[in-house]
Amino acid sequence: MKRLPPVVILAVGLVIGLLALFALGLAVAGQQGRRPEAGTPAPAFSLVLYDDHRAGLPKTISLADLRGKPVVLNFWASWCIPCRDEAPEFEAASRRYKNQVVFLGVNWLEIEAAALPYLKQQSITYANGFDTQQQVARAYRITGVPETFFIDRNGILRQIETRPLTGADLDTAIQELLK
Amino acid sequence: MRACLVVSARFILGALVLFLGVFLAARPAHAQAGSLEEQTREIAKRLNCPTCAGRNLADCPTDTCAQWKGEIATQLKSGRTAAQVTEYFTASFGPGVLQEPPREGGYLLAWVFPVVVFAALIATAFYVMRKSSRRGMATGPAAVTTPADRYADELERQVREGE
Repeated sequence: MKRLPPVVILAVGLVIGLLALFALGLAVAGQQGRRPEAGTPAPAFSLVLYDDHRAGLPKTISLADLRGKPVVLNFWASWCIPCRDEAPEFEAASRRYKNQVVFLGVNWLEIEAAALPYLKQQSITYANGFDTQQQVARAYRITGVPETFFIDRNGILRQIETRPLTGADLDTAIQELLK
Repeated sequence: MRACLVVSARFILGALVLFLGVFLAARPAHAQAGSLEEQTREIAKRLNCPTCAGRNLADCPTDTCAQWKGEIATQLKSGRTAAQVTEYFTASFGPGVLQEPPREGGYLLAWVFPVVVFAALIATAFYVMRKSSRRGMATGPAAVTTPADRYADELERQVREGE
């Protein structure tokens, strides 16, 4: 059998290398792309809170810092009408469960100039932050807003909701977290 | 064979040098020319819409894009350069907001690797064509024998015998 010339081997090797890199990239993206599921540990995150919306928490808060308390993690945007509809329900629930549950709002893809007036307009008092480089949104694989994740005191994800929630929905989910 | 390899290697190297030359010369210029609207549009053209896949910020009419374009204009008005504005969006929302991968660090691989592969494929094609044309020259006369050739050969043989 005739031996292939080195230049052909080199070229074929380069093409195979490129395809291998491409496949590896897809595999890694697929692994990272898996949405977290209820019953599994909630992905770790760190969130930089807006100065006027820290609710007594440090400027940068991580999920690990909140271990021991249930967390309601809500993604929102000011232009999102369903977010606007559910915002008063979240604010009321955060007051009802003050000291029992930590409410964390995460703004999705907006600049401060849009996010802060919205928070003020909605009279939101619970902690809200800016998702630097979309780290939290990527970790939770959100596909839009609003999306809400209920995390128990041990850091286990208990419920995922990809729809606007009512006060009754929040009560039901939080009661489960507090059991 | 050795000469052919050298030519192929030179070709790949030449293609790379040419690519890098064009690549560096084509770095996006961050000139601050034109009206505020034009400057905003120029920057927006280099950013992705954060909510619509594959659409650039300049052409997207969504609320989020309107906010972002407003922010670009605000930052330009405050005296920031186009590069600083782009850097702000990259730092805030990640390198995914850029229409093109950054021309630095590990992202360079995304630019250089396809060129290397393309150059390698061209070099291979060049090598194969050159080799087959040489083989054709070496074996050509014996391989092509038409009735007219055979007649001419026979005629030549008989003439030689007659002499």
